[in-house]
Amino acid sequence: MSADRVLQADVGIVGAGPAGMAAANVLAAAGLRVVVLDEGHRAGGQIFRQLPVGSHNAGAIAEPPSHHHGHALLATFDQSRVTLRCGASVWDARPGRLWFEQDGASWLLRCRHIVLAPGAYDRCIPFPGWTLPGVLTAGALQVMVRGFGIVPGKRAIVAGSGPLLLPTVTALLSAGVHVVAALEASSRWRALRALPGVLGNGARLSEAFWYARQLLKAGVRLRWGWTIFGCEGDGRVQRAIIGKVDRSGRPRRETAQTVDVDVVGAGFGLVPSIELGLHLGCTSRWHEGGAGHALVVDAEQRTSVENVFAAGEICGIGGAEVAMAEGHLAAHAVLHAVRGTAVPVAVRKKARRERGAADAMLRAFAPLPGLHELAQADTVVCRCEDVTLATAQAAAALYGSSLRAIKVGCRAGMGPCQARICGPSLQALAGREPTRAMDLPVVQVPLKAVRSETIVNAPPA
Amino acid sequence: MAETADLIVVGGGIIGCAAVQHLAQLLPRSTRMVLCDRGAIAGATSGSCMGHLMVTPDDAQEYAFTARSVQLWRELNERHGGFDYNPTGALYLADDAADIELFAVLRQQFIDCGDRADILDAKQLRELEPGLAFDLPGALFYPGDGVVLPMLACRAMLQEARLHNPNVSVRPNCAIFGVRRAHGRVLGVDTAMGPIDAPIVVNATGVWAPDLAEMAGQPRLPIYPRAGNLAITGHHVTPIKTQLLEVSYIRFAHGTAKVDPTRTDDLGGHAVNMQPQTNGGCLIGSTRQFRGMDRTLNRELLHRSLLRAQRYAPGLAAAPIVRTWVGLRPFSIDKHPLIGPWPGLEGMWIAAGHEGLGISLAPITGLLLAQQIAGVKTAIDHRPYLPARFAP
Repeated sequence: MSADRVLQADVGIVGAGPAGMAAANVLAAAGLRVVVLDEGHRAGGQIFRQLPVGSHNAGAIAEPPSHHHGHALLATFDQSRVTLRCGASVWDARPGRLWFEQDGASWLLRCRHIVLAPGAYDRCIPFPGWTLPGVLTAGALQVMVRGFGIVPGKRAIVAGSGPLLLPTVTALLSAGVHVVAALEASSRWRALRALPGVLGNGARLSEAFWYARQLLKAGVRLRWGWTIFGCEGDGRVQRAIIGKVDRSGRPRRETAQTVDVDVVGAGFGLVPSIELGLHLGCTSRWHEGGAGHALVVDAEQRTSVENVFAAGEICGIGGAEVAMAEGHLAAHAVLHAVRGTAVPVAVRKKARRERGAADAMLRAFAPLPGLHELAQADTVVCRCEDVTLATAQAAAALYGSSLRAIKVGCRAGMGPCQARICGPSLQALAGREPTRAMDLPVVQVPLKAVRSETIVNAPPA
Repeated sequence: MAETADLIVVGGGIIGCAAVQHLAQLLPRSTRMVLCDRGAIAGATSGSCMGHLMVTPDDAQEYAFTARSVQLWRELNERHGGFDYNPTGALYLADDAADIELFAVLRQQFIDCGDRADILDAKQLRELEPGLAFDLPGALFYPGDGVVLPMLACRAMLQEARLHNPNVSVRPNCAIFGVRRAHGRVLGVDTAMGPIDAPIVVNATGVWAPDLAEMAGQPRLPIYPRAGNLAITGHHVTPIKTQLLEVSYIRFAHGTAKVDPTRTDDLGGHAVNMQPQTNGGCLIGSTRQFRGMDRTLNRELLHRSLLRAQRYAPGLAAAPIVRTWVGLRPFSIDKHPLIGPWPGLEGMWIAAGHEGLGISLAPITGLLLAQQIAGVKTAIDHRPYLPARFAP
């Protein structure tokens, strides 16, 4: 039965976002057989997310000038001789082999080279009421608005840290939602650290101006050094409590005020999705600025495992421009491995420049440790297993401060998301040791939840 | 200056925690007790196993040993709770006519021990567990078994210990590097956090028990890691509400057939063991394979056990599997745990080697160990479990 569910390719790419598409376009143009696997319903990834095929979009979602790169990329991708498998979850892998589930069926992709471009997750920092309906991560809000054309509510507040807040605000504005305020936890002065990255980078500069203009036009105030303290409501969010934070992100409770809202977007940055890379045996490093683990790659996007390349957020949070440049570079590195062609110097330089600018951005908006004080004793920190902060802290005190100890001590992180949501904050929250690097997550098959019969019917390697 | 304690338990798994609990209950309140673990509490075998509380009626001694332990679990739950104790009973299943005959044999064993078990026909089985395959011929239901979440039970045991003795010190990330001794007596241990002087050291380190014994100058204990692959589904999809196992599991897991744990070519075997979780998940086991300390997944064995689980509960085929993993059971060569003093070294005690029944047997193990250390009469005959049987 499984014999015909095997694909062959020269290159398997995981992720059809900017990095994956950029790599695919180059490789397909060079005549290689390319298969791209993506969990979404269409190509684009999180940032260039497209509505489902056949749905009518007003086309009204305002986009910054840089997004024309995304449209060009998508257009080329649609035209190129690439096999795209949507709705595909990669759940097991080894070098040269990717097992995935698609429409409930078990598939294997055999490919000489693998390019990892799986993107990132929203970083969640728990606060009281964050599990109420109507409170969404910045990423989830964008999925609703841009991916499905759903208008999530009437009055919104957006809070968090980093560049991702701005597209969240503009997506909500485009959907006709009144955005009461946009709260950036970093101070204006801290944000200045991003300047070196932005000033030397024309695209980023014009993007910043574009967003500033959008906010101004809609009358949305960007409040620096503010954040959300909590949400309240009967059955769903009705009020948000907001206030100022000190330089380390600690809430200044005396500044708290209440605003009526029915939607809250919380975006405290992103965490690289590295599970697949770790499972393949790739070396990772703790990325201090990004407060997350990222894969280690060489100057041409090679991981520590032969024939496995990585590009984009998996190498450190950086955004679409970095992802495209690195995807491009990774493709040339693959071509070098296959055909011995030289990697163009300009491509390498471009990727390095974009990464440098992104790192400056990361430093400016690195998660403030004090934000972990937003959660109260009864705040749920692991929403899969309904574990409160007090329970997680008790577990850390008795079982040990490692991620493993907290998990077995209160089962946080053992549910369906496998600690993707709570993991990045769990140690900082439970141990109140915010500056320490978190433990590397232990990766186990299946990398994404798949049907039991998908595992049983997996085609042999 | 070395720290001084009266007693050190090495190994923060379920056995070490149960030992601390019962020692705290039996020894004076002033006893200075330390529990050390090289990693997290419940971080190794006790955090990667199933939680079946199982009564085995092989003979009167075995029945007393297992049933008393399940009774102690019930009592711990009444006093503490918080570890998903669920007295589901156990259903022994068969899909093979030959195995059906085992129902009557097993039922008679329970009766001979003064207990009961009921043979269900196909209709009664369907009423009890409508999520099972309709073509199953029947089952044996034993009401006395149950399920716990082992890793959370460790906390309840340590809390209970602290009620009796607030000075119990629990130290995760505190590996033992050496056992100091002189003139045939234990003097203490060297740990990652410095030396501790103590006249009594309990080796409750499961699959690592032979290593600690070697540090203490003992011959290697005949305890061998036996790997098991496990899988767990997402929430709210379990097709069952009772602890289920194939009746052939008895033969497979607890049979008397000779096994050689030192063979390196063990292909392993499997028999279905399925466990409903409080959150609606279903834990699926179980496989057994000797291959040293290797904890990489054996896909072949995992596939076979998932397929076998689907045979009994067809709905599992479409259930999402969120995680699989491998745990190591501390298999003892004669299939009985080692509980008691080591004859050649005064002050050295052992509580290890429970293979797949460590969770179920933890309370009685802790009790028998504590009673022997305290010098009081043991609750049941403890002699079959004395480590002296392996002393030279």
